[in-house]
Amino acid sequence: MTARGLLLSFLLCVTPAQAGTLPEGLIKLDGRPASTLKLADLDGKTTDLGALRGQWVMVHFWASWCGPCRRELPAIAAMAQTKPAALALVMVNTAETEDEVFAFLASVAPALSTLLDKDGQVTERWQPRGLPSTFFVDPRGRLRYLALGGRPWDTGPYRHFLASLTPERKN
Amino acid sequence: MIRSLYFALFSAALIIVPATAPAHADEDRDIVLHASPRTPDQIAAFYEARGFPHAAIETLTQTCFVTVSFHNRSGDVVWLELSRWRFVDEHGREVKRRDRAHWNALWEKLGVPMANRSTFGWTQLPEVRDLQPSEPVGGNVALPPPSGRFRLEARFATGARKQGKDIMVTLDDLSCPGRDVK
Repeated sequence: MTARGLLLSFLLCVTPAQAGTLPEGLIKLDGRPASTLKLADLDGKTTDLGALRGQWVMVHFWASWCGPCRRELPAIAAMAQTKPAALALVMVNTAETEDEVFAFLASVAPALSTLLDKDGQVTERWQPRGLPSTFFVDPRGRLRYLALGGRPWDTGPYRHFLASLTPERKN
Repeated sequence: MIRSLYFALFSAALIIVPATAPAHADEDRDIVLHASPRTPDQIAAFYEARGFPHAAIETLTQTCFVTVSFHNRSGDVVWLELSRWRFVDEHGREVKRRDRAHWNALWEKLGVPMANRSTFGWTQLPEVRDLQPSEPVGGNVALPPPSGRFRLEARFATGARKQGKDIMVTLDDLSCPGRDVK
């Protein structure tokens, strides 16, 4: 491989975080293992975070009564349409009923699906800094980044960050 | 010298929005603090809509909730520590906050469902938070209703290791709406 090829390979593996260019409001975490997360969605379909090992996962905690959550949801819905396929989005509603979540999502972001933490205990274990909160779990199941509050996920710096987590490998 | 200047600017950039003023945030400033006491009706409406039991609603409406929003727009860590906040009534007496331990004990006694406890917890301002640059935080602070007007004296440490100068903020002339104010 030429020096140029080596450099290109290196650059493809460098995330914005490694390059020291995290978008505003994202902080690096220490890589501790993510807590377990196994919950059902509105259709009763269960998602287990453990089964998503091998890919990056964006875990988003929210509630419909939370103003910043409501303001952020359209950006998440837009981002979900264009996010890298290799990045999984797992949304977790904190301590609301199926009726509340169904009525709210249907009117605000009908394309989004969320898991239901009905008694709020999964959220308690994850200890987000508040609602909304977004964690990034690496392919080994470790917490790598945290977004502080709501973020404009559908804008350039955030799209670039998401894309950098799952760079396309070129042969 | 530069450090002193920084903190002078930092402190001068603090915005304090009293409860009676319309909520706003100045995009050009470093820190925004906004406090807004809630009426018993607002509190009842919010928690009733989320299925809280009647006994819980009754207690909640007998409490003065001050909704606080804070945004750290500075380039340094600012420490939110409620233990360093004092609410003082018009006679100079401290009004003690009803902290999380108070509520947890009450919910236990009343048998409030876990989902309600969780929702309530997330609506309260955290006890401690190292607010990172650009980080917002919001939530309620609970007080036994002061009989008249009261003020908030809040002190914030700065810097990742609290090595910076404290910021002192005073919000005067607060009152719990829907209650008798002399």
